[in-house]
Amino acid sequence: MEDVIYDTKLLERRPLSDNTFEAIFSRPAGFEFTAGQRIRLIHGGLERDYSLANAPDEAVLVLCIRQVAAGRFSTLLSSIPVGTGFTFSGPHGYFVFRASARSPVFVATGTGVAPFTAMARSSVSAFTLLHGVRQAGDCYYATLFRTKARRYVVCLSEEDPSVAGMFHGRVTDYIASQLEPDRYDFYLCGRGEMIRDVTWLVDDRFPGSMVYTEIFY
Amino acid sequence: MKIYTGSGDRGKTSLFSGERVAKNNLRTEAYGDLDELNSCLGALTAALGESHQSIAEIRQIQSDLFHIGARLATTPGSPSAAALDAFDEQKSRYLETAIDRMDQHLPPLKGFILPGGRMTAALAHVARTVCRRAERHVVGLSEDKTTGQTPDAYQAVLVYLNRLSDYLFVLARFCNHLAGETDILWSK
Repeated sequence: MEDVIYDTKLLERRPLSDNTFEAIFSRPAGFEFTAGQRIRLIHGGLERDYSLANAPDEAVLVLCIRQVAAGRFSTLLSSIPVGTGFTFSGPHGYFVFRASARSPVFVATGTGVAPFTAMARSSVSAFTLLHGVRQAGDCYYATLFRTKARRYVVCLSEEDPSVAGMFHGRVTDYIASQLEPDRYDFYLCGRGEMIRDVTWLVDDRFPGSMVYTEIFY
Repeated sequence: MKIYTGSGDRGKTSLFSGERVAKNNLRTEAYGDLDELNSCLGALTAALGESHQSIAEIRQIQSDLFHIGARLATTPGSPSAAALDAFDEQKSRYLETAIDRMDQHLPPLKGFILPGGRMTAALAHVARTVCRRAERHVVGLSEDKTTGQTPDAYQAVLVYLNRLSDYLFVLARFCNHLAGETDILWSK
């Protein structure tokens, strides 16, 4: 079946950190999705998948964009005039919350936190979120997660002893050293290396856990 | 873009329902057969060519196999099962209609036939045998008492695979018939 293509328009950019921003798009009539799903944004012959960061009942669509020098779409989104029209297909993917008796552990690197933002902005709460970032300024959405998460840990990969209140190390270091033995529902969104390393940790230390993944590149 | 994570490099994979299982698990064997079957059908469509009258039908079957694959990769009753599209015996009716349509053009079957003939027919026979293997693995899965599933969890899938094997047998004969090739009967 062919994808349905929707028209949308860039409404606003909201900075989240030095190199990350929210791109706010108009929401076309008839477009429905579940928190955690992606859209495929299309413009000028380019297309790229982005997880939606807004709750399904919000009036706009929110994407969390990290501007990458070599990233053609992120560069486009960071510079194109507000009001520009785009098209998109979707929703895509199955990275959605599945309630169970096990405790959910969300693990994200960088803007891989977007689907968890959508879940937290909807009805999902009482989760553990491990957010791996390079610098302290990259822990965007901290206010939201402090409210909704049972445990919210920012894992700072760049050594900076001046920063307090964060875990110094990668998300894998936290899981290996701090997460209590149990069966969990792990939701992993981020770079492939993180997904591989966490999955192997789950195999070794948390047998009986579930693993759901979304590669964010 | 890198499409690999390497998380399966140690011989395990994640099911759609989230469990980490060995890659030779009964469930992965079953949906692996479907993957192989789908690839056989891809080869068959390539050999048939876009103008062949069965192309749309085979593409529909390939799509159905994705749905079945997702079902086999999901533990029945798990939270993920709710995300699956419905799969009922109506899908098998579609195959029966196609079988009947082809069969009315074919000469009566007078014995066992050797798999082969034209390349398209041979590929349909290969697909048929992979389909039978998938069916055997799904039978094993349906008899697995460890998952807490209901006995009829895979009933519609079993009916579909049984009918699909029949469809592929008739399709093989149909391909030969359209090409003017006569079935080669088994002689003792």
